[in-house]
Amino acid sequence: MPAANQRTPGARWTPFFFLLPFLFFLLLFWVIPLIGGVQMSLHANGLGQVEYVGFAHYHALANDERYFTALRNSFVYTLASVVVIVPLALWLAHLLRASFRRLRPVLTFALLLPALTPPSVLAVLFLMVFHGKNGLLNQLFVMPLGLGPVSWLKDPDFILSGLVLQTVWRWTGFMTFFILAGMEGIPRVYYEAARLATGSRWQHFWHVTLPQLRPVLLFVAVYLVVDGFSLFSGAFVLLGGSGGTADAGLLTVTYVFQKTRFFEYGTASAISVSLLPLMTLALWVALFLRRRTA
Amino acid sequence: MSAQGKTARGALSLLLLGPFLMAVFVPFLWMVLGIFKTNAEFFQPLAKAFFPAHYDWQNVADLLGGKWVPFWNVFGNSLIVSLGQALGAVALSAMAGYAFARFSFRGKRLLFVLAVALILVPRQLFAVPLFSWVNALGLSDSLLGVMLPGVVAGLGVIYFTQVFRQVPEEYLQAARVCGATELQVFLTVLPLVWPALLSYGMIHFILAWHEHLIPMLVLTTETKQTLPLALAKLYDVSQRTPQGVQMAASTFAVIPTAVLFALFHRKFKSSLSEMLVH
Repeated sequence: MPAANQRTPGARWTPFFFLLPFLFFLLLFWVIPLIGGVQMSLHANGLGQVEYVGFAHYHALANDERYFTALRNSFVYTLASVVVIVPLALWLAHLLRASFRRLRPVLTFALLLPALTPPSVLAVLFLMVFHGKNGLLNQLFVMPLGLGPVSWLKDPDFILSGLVLQTVWRWTGFMTFFILAGMEGIPRVYYEAARLATGSRWQHFWHVTLPQLRPVLLFVAVYLVVDGFSLFSGAFVLLGGSGGTADAGLLTVTYVFQKTRFFEYGTASAISVSLLPLMTLALWVALFLRRRTA
Repeated sequence: MSAQGKTARGALSLLLLGPFLMAVFVPFLWMVLGIFKTNAEFFQPLAKAFFPAHYDWQNVADLLGGKWVPFWNVFGNSLIVSLGQALGAVALSAMAGYAFARFSFRGKRLLFVLAVALILVPRQLFAVPLFSWVNALGLSDSLLGVMLPGVVAGLGVIYFTQVFRQVPEEYLQAARVCGATELQVFLTVLPLVWPALLSYGMIHFILAWHEHLIPMLVLTTETKQTLPLALAKLYDVSQRTPQGVQMAASTFAVIPTAVLFALFHRKFKSSLSEMLVH
């Protein structure tokens, strides 16, 4: 960080001149809606002039079983996607590095294709994999094992795994790309030094690659957590805006959307606001880990 | 390592990558082939009818002719909104990132944390208050109502803060010595970081291209809608759109982002590699 400790050049207001456009839009389209959301959560359902109800919506949520189902599902979904995607992407990046150099760009691009696809298209393509007994997953994997076809999108035991699988399919290639970029940026000298010191490839990975990749891995994890909590389109197309059988695939954003559809704006906002402490905690953890990296 | 050992290792890696490549590629192949299938063919078990019996372009013609949705309108809207968002986000984030990287001022830390916090609060969760605020601003059912809220990007600010930290201080000093104003100094630095500008623009374009919930709330007139909304309509069972038309629309929805990424992903990767190790 060469510039951080320098004396501020130019007039005192110069940095604010550069920050002004960003701060203006930040205020207009983030801070104001956020305040609006808090306000809405304290008023009765409906738009326009509605009465102030205090914390009534929050009290109702505390006894709302579906709210906790949605929270739990979102949490499990997010955690599962991070736990599956990060190691898988690390492994794939490693394989890409070990494979032929000239093929690497093509292979990376191929793996990345799902990340470039609109989530609703992804969901439809994914239906092919899940769709009843004609789907690829059932035809190629489940039925040859002598098991009955699994109804991935109807059986409450499988819906959430289905959604996780979709996320894994969508993001793994993209995260592989970031990790690969990180790996290619590690100076060769580090490996040469490590080679002089110790032997095995595994130790190089553990003592050189992994520590160097920490910022990338942190970024990947944060991205997945945020995406996990804001997943809408994918679940919307797969489950038609419902939570699936027995709400097994009900995610937080879907629940907010359901409330919105029935004009229960107060409740919808209360759900959203109730997630802010969770997000703040995630932010704190991310910043803490970042500091430890630096 | 010997050349032979390297080849063997490369081949083995390729073999291990194989299943993953298939898992990604087969659904997309199925999507493109689906354009030519009749509904009856489409719902056959996959192994039996993976390839269509005839290659008939009628579904594509129907889609482009606007038989099901005003396709060109919707496609154009998506391009305008995504490009506008990408340009806006690059401009705002680059300026903010430059300020964070190159100046010290009061409240810097607090503002930076705020920018990070932006990433962590999913905009979808505040869609309703955002929507009513957009209405209050008189932007309902207009492309600007989707575009303007999309130009605030926490990720962009953090990215450009990192990028501008790497520009050698000598460049800035040289420009200042020549009597450049602070804005001119910033503009002199921009060509040095153009891969980063391009890369972030691309990423933001892709995110904007995929956005579903906010456009759904803001845009109501059919000819003003964006591609994800038109796709949702085509996929809706009650519309009885032929599967081939759905697959054609899906294919067209992937092409712009795929082309963009194919063109720029090497530039993006090297820009990331440089950044991530510093």
